[in-house]
Formats: sequence, C-alpha cells, structure tokens
Amino acid sequence: MKERSEFAVVNHSVPRGDGIAKVTGSAVYTSDMAVEHMAWAKVLRSPFARARILSIDISQAKSQPGLIDVLTGGDLKGLSPYYGHGVRDHPLIAIGQVRFVGEPVAAVIAEDELTAQEALGKIVVEYEELDAILDVDTALAQGTPRIHETDFADGAFRGFDDFPGAAGNICQAVHVAWGDVDAAFAVAAHIAEGEFYFPMVYAYAMEPYVAIADYDAKGQLTVYSSAQHPFMVRHDLAQVFGLPLNSVRVIVPYVGGGYGSKSYTKIEPLVAACSWKAGRPVKLQLSVEEAFLTTRGDDARVRIRTAADAKGQLVARQATIHLNTGAYAENSPMVCRKAANRIVGPYRIPNVKIDCFAVYTNTVPASSYRGLGGAQVTFPGESQIDELAEKSGCDSVEFRLKNLAQSRESIHPGMRPIDADLPGDVREAARMLRMDRPLAPGRGRAVCCSASDAGAHPVTLAMVQIYADGSVSVLSGSTEIGQGSHTVLAQIAAEEMGVPLEKVRLVGSDTAVTLFERSTGASRTTTLMGRAVLEACREAIAQCKVMAAEVLGVPAEALVEERGGIRSGETRLTWSEILEKYFQMEGCSIIGRAYLRKAGDLKLVPVFWEIGVVGVEIALDEETGRITLESLVTIGDVGLAINPAMTEGQDLGAATMGLGAGLFEELIYDGQQLMNGTMLEYRVPRFSDLANNVEMKLVQNRDGVGPYGAKGGGEGAVNPISPCIANALHQATGVRMRTLPLTPERVWKALQEKKARAST
Amino acid sequence: MTTLSRFEIHQPASVLEASQMLAQYGDDAGIYAGGTELLLAMKHAALNYRHLIDLKVILGLNSINVRNGSLEIGATSAHRSIERSAIVRQNQPALAEMESQVANVRVRVTGTLGGNLCFAEPHSDPATLLLVLGGTVRAESATGAREIPVAELIAGAYANNFLPGEVLTKITVPCAKPSHRAGYMKFQVHERPTLGLGLWMETPDDGRTFTSARVAVGCVCPFPTRGVEAEKVLTGSRGEVEKRLPEAADLIADAADLVDDHEGSVEYKRHLIHIFLRRVFRKALREPVS
Ligand SMILES: Cc1cc2nc3c(=O)[nH]c(=O)nc-3n(C[C@H](O)[C@H](O)[C@H](O)COP(=O)(O)OP(=O)(O)OC[C@H]3O[C@@H](n4cnc5c(N)ncnc54)[C@H](O)[C@@H]3O)c2cc1C
Repeated sequence: MKERSEFAVVNHSVPRGDGIAKVTGSAVYTSDMAVEHMAWAKVLRSPFARARILSIDISQAKSQPGLIDVLTGGDLKGLSPYYGHGVRDHPLIAIGQVRFVGEPVAAVIAEDELTAQEALGKIVVEYEELDAILDVDTALAQGTPRIHETDFADGAFRGFDDFPGAAGNICQAVHVAWGDVDAAFAVAAHIAEGEFYFPMVYAYAMEPYVAIADYDAKGQLTVYSSAQHPFMVRHDLAQVFGLPLNSVRVIVPYVGGGYGSKSYTKIEPLVAACSWKAGRPVKLQLSVEEAFLTTRGDDARVRIRTAADAKGQLVARQATIHLNTGAYAENSPMVCRKAANRIVGPYRIPNVKIDCFAVYTNTVPASSYRGLGGAQVTFPGESQIDELAEKSGCDSVEFRLKNLAQSRESIHPGMRPIDADLPGDVREAARMLRMDRPLAPGRGRAVCCSASDAGAHPVTLAMVQIYADGSVSVLSGSTEIGQGSHTVLAQIAAEEMGVPLEKVRLVGSDTAVTLFERSTGASRTTTLMGRAVLEACREAIAQCKVMAAEVLGVPAEALVEERGGIRSGETRLTWSEILEKYFQMEGCSIIGRAYLRKAGDLKLVPVFWEIGVVGVEIALDEETGRITLESLVTIGDVGLAINPAMTEGQDLGAATMGLGAGLFEELIYDGQQLMNGTMLEYRVPRFSDLANNVEMKLVQNRDGVGPYGAKGGGEGAVNPISPCIANALHQATGVRMRTLPLTPERVWKALQEKKARAST
Repeated sequence: MTTLSRFEIHQPASVLEASQMLAQYGDDAGIYAGGTELLLAMKHAALNYRHLIDLKVILGLNSINVRNGSLEIGATSAHRSIERSAIVRQNQPALAEMESQVANVRVRVTGTLGGNLCFAEPHSDPATLLLVLGGTVRAESATGAREIPVAELIAGAYANNFLPGEVLTKITVPCAKPSHRAGYMKFQVHERPTLGLGLWMETPDDGRTFTSARVAVGCVCPFPTRGVEAEKVLTGSRGEVEKRLPEAADLIADAADLVDDHEGSVEYKRHLIHIFLRRVFRKALREPVS
C-alpha cells in the first residue's frame, strides 16, 4: 500500500471538474434539454386524500387546440402499472382510487406546457370521498380499513435483503434484538425513558423532478431524468413496459441535488407512459410545489428507554419506532430497516430490542432522506445518552468515551466490526469545541455522534478505457448529483494510470453505456465505485504489462512498474506507448473492468460504518426562544479523503441540512392538506443560519474497504446535529426537548412551563 | 404553483395612460411594478390578469427627493435604492434601515415600495413603519389625484382602498427632526416576518421626556395596526414610559387582531410584542437593545 505522502492526485483538493460549467451556467441539466418533436405533459392532481375515482371526463380537454393526448388510469392496458423497488404498490397514475392529496390523476400531453396546463382545467373528475387515514395511530387502530387493499409483489431489492413486510397498514416491520432487555432493565441502576418526535421533512433540492421520455415506434424507451438511481429506474421501467433491459436506456445529465429526494423511481414511469400513449417524446417538469407533493422524509415517533449500570456502563436499549410512511412504500422499507439498526448507536450495548414499523397513511409518500433513518433515530438515541450521563453523575463526553465501540470492536452481532476511531473522534470534537471553557449565560455545548451501517448492497461494476494517446475514460454508473463523484473518480483514475487529471474524462450515467451500479446512495460512491475504478485501472495495467512483455520480448516478471508505465533495464514505456507498439496503430484503446459484489472483504455488511461526530455551542435568546449556532465542529472519519476540500464540504453540508429539522423544518398538515409545501412557507437553512465559528477536521486512518482505505462521508453529520442542539439547550436551560424542530415558540413554551413548575 | 397563464404587457408612457389602460381593461388588468408579489400570485392563480400594465417604464416614477420637509419617494423606487439612497439615509434613517432588512437582496433589487404598500401583504415591513412615521401616498387617475394616509390605504389583508383606475405614484414621509426618535424591529423565522414593530417618539430634551408617541404592530395580525391607546401611555418622563412599556405592549396587542397561524400562537405573539416594544424603545434611543 502506498504511503499517504506518495499520492500524486488523490488526497489533494483539486478543483471540481464541473465547477466552472456549473458556476457559469453552461452545465446541462435535464431541465435544459429538449429532443426533437418533444411534447409537454402536465399533471392533474387529487384534491382528496382518500377517494374512489368514479369517472374522468376528458371530452372538454380534448377539444383544446394544441392538445395531443390525455393519460388516465384507464389507459394502462398492456402495462404492469405498479412499480416500486421495495413493494410494487405505486401505480404510475391513480387507478380507480387516490391515496393522498396531490396524487397524479390525469396527465395532459400537449404541444407546449401552457396548453397542457390550460387543458387540465377542463378535465372533470368525479370522486367518492372516503375517510382519510392521516396519522399512524388511526392507521394502526382496530377496524381501520387498509389503504392498500391488496398484497403487492416484492420489488427488486426484496431479493437482496430479507425482511418480510407485514399486514394491515403496516408497510414494513423490522425487528432487531439481542440479549435480554427485560432482565437488564429490571436490575439497571439508571434508566432514561421517553417519547420523541422527528418531524415530517422535505429533502429540498434546487432542481425539482424532471424527465424526458421517448418510447419510440421500435419499442425502445429512452429516458433523460434527474434520477439518482438510473439502474433502479431502468429496472422499474423494464417491468412496467415488459421490455428487455437493453431496450430501456436511462441517461442522467447533471442533477441539481437530491439529498434523498431523487433516490429510486419517481416520475419516470408516468412520463414514459405519456410518451407510450402519445407516440411522441414527452417532457414533464414539476414545480417545487409539485415536488413537495411527490416525496418527503418519514416522520418518526420513537418510544425509547436506555439503561446503564452503577458504573455508567450501558446495559440495555429498547425502542419502538413508528414511521409515517405515507401512501406508498417508496424507499421506506429500507428506511425502516436502517432506522432499526441505527438507533442502537455506536455503543457497546449487551441487550437490545428494537421494533420498527413503517406505516401507510393518506399523506405524501415518504422515502429516503439523507441519512436514511439516521436523523430520525439519532435524535432520541443521543438525547437519551445525555440523560443517562446526567443520571449517572458523569460528564456526557466521558460517558460516551466509556461506552463507545473501539476500532475493530463488533457491536452488532453478525455485522462488520467498527472500522473507525469513534473515541478518538469524540475526544477530538470535544477538544476543538473547548468544552472546558466556562459558559456564558444562555450558552450550551454538546458533542454527539452516530454510526450508520452504510454502503447499501455492494454490487458495483465499472470500466475504464485507456487510449493510446494517453487519455483515459472512466465509464461509471454513479450519478454526479453535486457531491463531486465525477471529480473524485477522475482523481483515482489519474492516480492509478499516472496521467494528468485533465486527461481523464468521466462518462455516465447512461445505462446503455455504463455498467450496472446498484446505488448512488448510502454514501458509497467513493468507497465502492472508487474502488471499482481503481481495480479496473489495475486490470488495464495488468493487460498492458502482458503486452509490454511481448513487445520487449522479456518475461512479464522482469518488468518494473513505475507510475504511468514500466521500466525494463534502461527502457521506459508509458501505458500509451505500450498500446501503440502493441497494436501498431494510432487511436486504439483497451478496457479495464472491475466487478464488485458481496464477496471477499465486501461480504460482511455494512460495507463500512459511516461516522457522524459533531459538536455545537448554541446561543439562546431566552426572551424569544430563538436558538442560534455560535460554534460548529465536525469530524469526518473517512479513512482517506480523496478530495479533502470536497469531503469537508460534505460534512458542512450535512451538518447544515441537519439544522433544518433541528430548528425550522416541518411539513404541516391541516387535515388532508399539506399547508406549507412552498419555498415561501417551508423554512430550509440559509447561509445566515451557519455557525459564527466553523471548524472541520478530517480523520484519515485508512481503515475503510474503499480505495487507499477510504470510506464514505456525506450523510454522517446530518444525524447528530439535532440531538446535539437539544443537549446543548438542556445544558443551557435544564429543559429537555423531545419534539423537533426546536422552533423559537416551542422552546419559549418549554421555558415557560419550566418556570411555572419551579414556582409551584 | 403553475406556469404563468397567457397575458399581454402594456407599456404606458405616463401615469395618465396607465390609468386609462386600467379603466379600459377593468378587472382583467393589473399594475405590474417589480412583479415579486404579482407574478407569484398569478402562478398560484390567486390573481388572474390578462393585461399587465408595466409601471416601471414610466420615466421619473422612481425618483427620490426632499420637498417641504418631506421625503418624496416615487412609487417604483425599489427597496434597494431606498435603502442605499443618501437622501433617505440622511432624512429618515429609520426608513433606510428598515428597507435594508426587507426580504433578501434579490427581492429588494426588484420589488418596489409602491408594490409593497398596494399589495397590503399582512407581513409588510414598510407599511408598519410608515404608519408611525406619518407616511401618505398619492393616488392618481385620469380624473384626478388624492393624498391618502398609509393607514387609510390598507383596507385589510391583501386589500387596498384604491378606486378603479387609481395608480399609486408617490410615497411621502416627513423627514426626521432632531427631536424625533424612531425605530423598527422585526422578529423573523420564516420567509416573512413573524412580528414587526415600529415606534416613533417626540422628545424635546434628548430622550429625558416624551411628549408624543406613535406605535404600530404588523405581521401578527391581518394588517398593520396602530396602538392608539398605547401611544397615550408612552408619554412622560423616560422612567415613567419605561415602567409603562408592559402596559403599552398589552394595549398594542389588544388593538391588533392577533391571529393563530403557523408563525405562532396568539399567546406567543402577545409575548413578542412585550419583548420587542422594550427592544425597539432602546433602539429608537440608539441604545444597546438587550
Ligand atoms: C421571497 C420574498 C420575501 C419577502 N420578504 C418580505 C419582507 O421581509 N418584508 C416585506 O415587507 N416584504 C417582503 N416581501 C414582499 C416584497 O417587499 C414585495 O414583494 C415588493 O416590495 C412588492 O413590490 P413589487 O414592485 O414587486 O410589486 P408587484 O408584485 O409588481 O405588485 C404587487 C401588487 O401591487 C400592485 N401594484 C404595484 N404597484 C402599484 C402601483 N404603483 N399602483 C397601484 N398598484 C400597484 C400590483 O398590481 C400587484 O397587485 C417579500 C417578497 C418575497 C417574494
């Protein structure tokens, strides 16, 4: 293995390859694109949360000049219209009934967007309204009807992870248990117990959903989409239209952010069905308001208790988690699985029992949200660690250090041992925050941490093309979603092939050109695609060596590899020179490839543990209840930062996103209706919300399975932010908040209640 | 939100022509100034105009002058130009300061003071401050012109008292005098403020006594509201006034029609009035706020 100092390209903060194009506006996103003969679609949405569709009258709309066609649930004969990678419960357009306000009921296809919109107003839908099931308790109550009356087929990823769904309105149940929690609680010295609520949030990305689909006369389907998971979209489209995989091509141009909201299939089946019906390429561009009605994060109610013995050692944790999953499963079965795993936290706990349920309701379907269940459960988990530290009479950092898993220690039976230095990270965060300084009034400090089983299912295939002129292409199915993966993958290829970074080009994602990649998610791209690119380069180099031996007439073992080529005695050849001599022809190229799967050192799950360690100092305005951030520290325990500046950017971005649910963000329903689904009313973090002092540190112990010992980052810091703020608030005021976000009014009310209690 | 529906833009050469266009197209027409409220409302189909009359193209309608002891601000002056205007800063610093806190810089560069007042959005910062600064607006039409106090311009949430064909052309604000103290503060969590509080006081002796006061609250209620009863208790020596601030805060809250909404409960809004009346009092006296 190379020493760190030997790296020529990786571990350097090179500028982003797409930076100039994005800043100057020349980068092409799906919204910027048009294809020949393209028509536009607009969607009519349900005004009811639960209703039967009695009739749809499109005759008036049909007479609109410029109208091409209308698609409704009655037009889908010949298709398999239900999709979903976890549960195939999601009709591409409402069929016979609607399950949330905002569900697509009809799509109008017209020559231009405005005409399509005008025709929408002429469609008359007759509904029979049914009692809406709007919250988890109602959904689970005896006698409540099922939101989905049939049992659906499993989607693609059921085959990968084995966790059975459940019945009634439970979309997914996951149980995690070891030891004997009842016995442990019975004898525990200290117990913290409570109910917590993490709000319904929207993973706001600047670019709303957009797709162009072209279902051509030969039965070939081409889709351009702002999709994070092109291969999963391809899978769903192939299933819906009964097409072979090679007839579905999903191309992903630049994507304007996702944060979970772009994961898996969204509007692509609907747009493709519009094209299929109209016989024209069709574009559908949603507004931000429509995006709010397309997906959201699961809100979570968590009943949890945690126990420690007299020495301050954790002995048990038990939790029941209810996720409000909305009308369709989307990725919530996976959120359910991950929430159940992640609530245990990075601690050594001998007795654990977690029961997690994803529950259908008649609200916007919930799906991935950065951290996949991590943010929802780290809030209760880390809040309770502070509560127990206090009960044990122990400093909260010391209490954590006593209980955190050491590097290589196994805390989840059957899973990969911890591949990070958690105690070191927490100690460092406490040092950076200077926890020992006296606190000013209204100030509070805390450090919190999380460990997430990240990386998803490791199936990652990559190709590199090495050209005889010294240039290199990386063909990757990972999506450049703003995280900088195209830059990082290019750095790895440049490092391995010994070529300048400018000579490396990234191709993808395009399912007709790039090989399968299961996911651009779970913080895995640097770890898995990065490693696949490295291995593909190594494979190309191995081929070059055989060629060089033949060209030079020496045994391959006699060649000495140097960066960028080989040496044989006094003779030096670069890889491109070898190719030219071997083929005796200009313009040739060879392919190196790598197929990663769940085998070898990738057999154990998770692929890696993603660590989140943050510290904050808050300032509270006690009169208004407003919390602001004085200081933020983040630790990125990433093995090796291929691009340190971008890695820190991920930590700061994740921490800032975490501020959202921590302080402001909450989707509010009034009855059936989402009340604040616009950017004027839904409050995301702003630059002005950033901490006055930000300090970030990268820990690079090269302890991951990725290239050069790298591991993923990008989702870690989102998880511990909200409990960190809540714990700091407790330190400042003695008030324990168990409901997010910590809005000024909520905090003010809690302070009032505390005062009232104190005076009685 | 939807795509903007079809409309035509008209570019009048004068206020008279704009007024005639308004009369001609009736309910189908609306004035288009910065468009920051108008276009959003049209995208949400809250307003449906087929004809937009672009006021920004009328020369001179964005000028800022001082005349007869008052600032005269043309209706199409953008928040940003008022905020940065040396004339405003010099003659009514509280107004310039308030303007610098409106929305974000993109909205301030485009949005106009006239548009803000005409739209009568309940969370308007300028309307609340202008109530206490004694601002008036000039409404002109083909048949004449009239001067309306800001208090009478606003008819309610999103409603103004213009007659058909009337165009707001000018906002007049008395200049600050050495004996005046004025300030505006807001509390904001979301995109629009939760509370706005404006205070104006007259002091002949550099803040030792106050001979008259005007106070107004906005955002917490459907339209900015003067606390007329509160103003009565805000005169006297500084010590007396300070002691009566809680009483005044309650009188302001009583005068305003406080509403529960996602900005906050009535109880919280009443509390904020207390906190911010004290803060804005200090601020008006150019003292540290807390
Ligand atoms: C994101 C955002 C944040 C905001 N935050 C704040 C804030 O913090 N505080 C605050 O006070 N405001 C805020 N606003 C409102 C902003 O101040 C106003 O949008 C702006 O000043 C309106 O002016 P305009 O020129 O854009 O009006 P337009 O949108 O052009 O017009 C608004 C309305 O007034 C009518 N109108 C305009 N001018 C005239 C005229 N001269 N005569 C007759 N009728 C006329 C129009 O027909 C229309 O009905 C915010 C707005 C946005 C979009």
